[in-house]
Amino acid sequence: MRMFGLFALIFIMWSMIMIVSYFLIFIIGPLHITLFNNSTDGLISSMVKASLAIGLVVVLILLLGILKSKYLRKTLLKN
Amino acid sequence: MVYPYDVIINAAIVSAISFLIIFYITPPFIKYLNKQGKTVVDYHKPGKPFIPRPAGPIILIGIVIAEIILYLLIQDVKIISLVLTTIIAFFIGYIDDLKTMPGWFKPVALILAAIPIIVLGSHGNYLGLIFDSAFIPLLYIPLILSIIPIVGNTINSIDVFNGVASGFVIITMIPLLVSVLLFGNTNVFLMGLPLFFGCIAIYHYHKFPSKIFLGDSGTLLLGSMYAVVSIAGNSEIIGVIALLPAVMNSFLFLSSVKKIVEHRQVKTRPVTICDDYRLMASKETQAPATLVRLILAKGPLSEKEIVNRILILGTFSSILAFISIAIQYSFMKGMISL
Repeated sequence: MRMFGLFALIFIMWSMIMIVSYFLIFIIGPLHITLFNNSTDGLISSMVKASLAIGLVVVLILLLGILKSKYLRKTLLKN
Repeated sequence: MVYPYDVIINAAIVSAISFLIIFYITPPFIKYLNKQGKTVVDYHKPGKPFIPRPAGPIILIGIVIAEIILYLLIQDVKIISLVLTTIIAFFIGYIDDLKTMPGWFKPVALILAAIPIIVLGSHGNYLGLIFDSAFIPLLYIPLILSIIPIVGNTINSIDVFNGVASGFVIITMIPLLVSVLLFGNTNVFLMGLPLFFGCIAIYHYHKFPSKIFLGDSGTLLLGSMYAVVSIAGNSEIIGVIALLPAVMNSFLFLSSVKKIVEHRQVKTRPVTICDDYRLMASKETQAPATLVRLILAKGPLSEKEIVNRILILGTFSSILAFISIAIQYSFMKGMISL
């Protein structure tokens, strides 16, 4: 049971990776922006998708940071 | 056309070459390092023995010879990029073994190690994201330039106790090789075998109590090679999932010290040594958070107990990687759809 917290932390990290992967494939991937009805639209769509993907990864890192702080407070400082 | 029989023969040849070279040349190399006085103190043992370092050159020789023979057998240009990346990573680590470099040196210099993969086109344009693949031809280049330094330094930063880095790479290579076989191709699978069997051979000498330390040259080459196999084998995310405890260790350390520094440059140590040589978590609030400090949060442990716990965490993340492989395979074959 000593390692339960660490197993849980790794499992949560894995779950977050799976959720981000799901978002990237099923939400951001099919996104298509039509503005000019020419080849520029494809480029704009790609740029928007790339920005959203990077943003999602940044959110993931921030969430991991919050998770880490909470876990540290719970384990290290309590002991 | 590659036949399964050829794959098995080639796999046996490259695995045996890498394993046998490293296994049989390491003992004389240990004697050579001792004779040359290339030793460092193992602070976690009674009597603080001197242990020879680095094992990097011997791992490099074993793996590179196996890869060159594999190139002669299957002539895939990806092998050249793998060898070049591994050699560059080795020399970056070797410089750090000889002379302590500033904290930024390894991550920045390792960007150079990623260049052969891009120049020789060993990467694909699709990033496997469990549920499907994403076509990212442009975004993939900066991704490669960051994956090699991150993975190289991740393996480097987990090498804190006897046998951790080599043992951890052995465990995490298993799901990676399975993933490469399913989602990549057999050539990349063959390319990964010298790393796996080379690690098994060096683990024999690196495990607790260590007869040799890997050094930065050893850990950076293992990490960089792991990264190349995952990139060339369309298994980047699976590779990251298997490495989660090591990723967590790097993330904890970086987010607590807030800058890229060498572990030895940190003033307040994350763990302290008890009189009976067990280790305990530092009570200092200024001490950086690391995986080992979290493992020790509930009380002191011996070095061997800590090593076992890190390897158990590696096994757990590898199981998660296998679950991810099963999900990805099910989606790929249309067994599951959303």
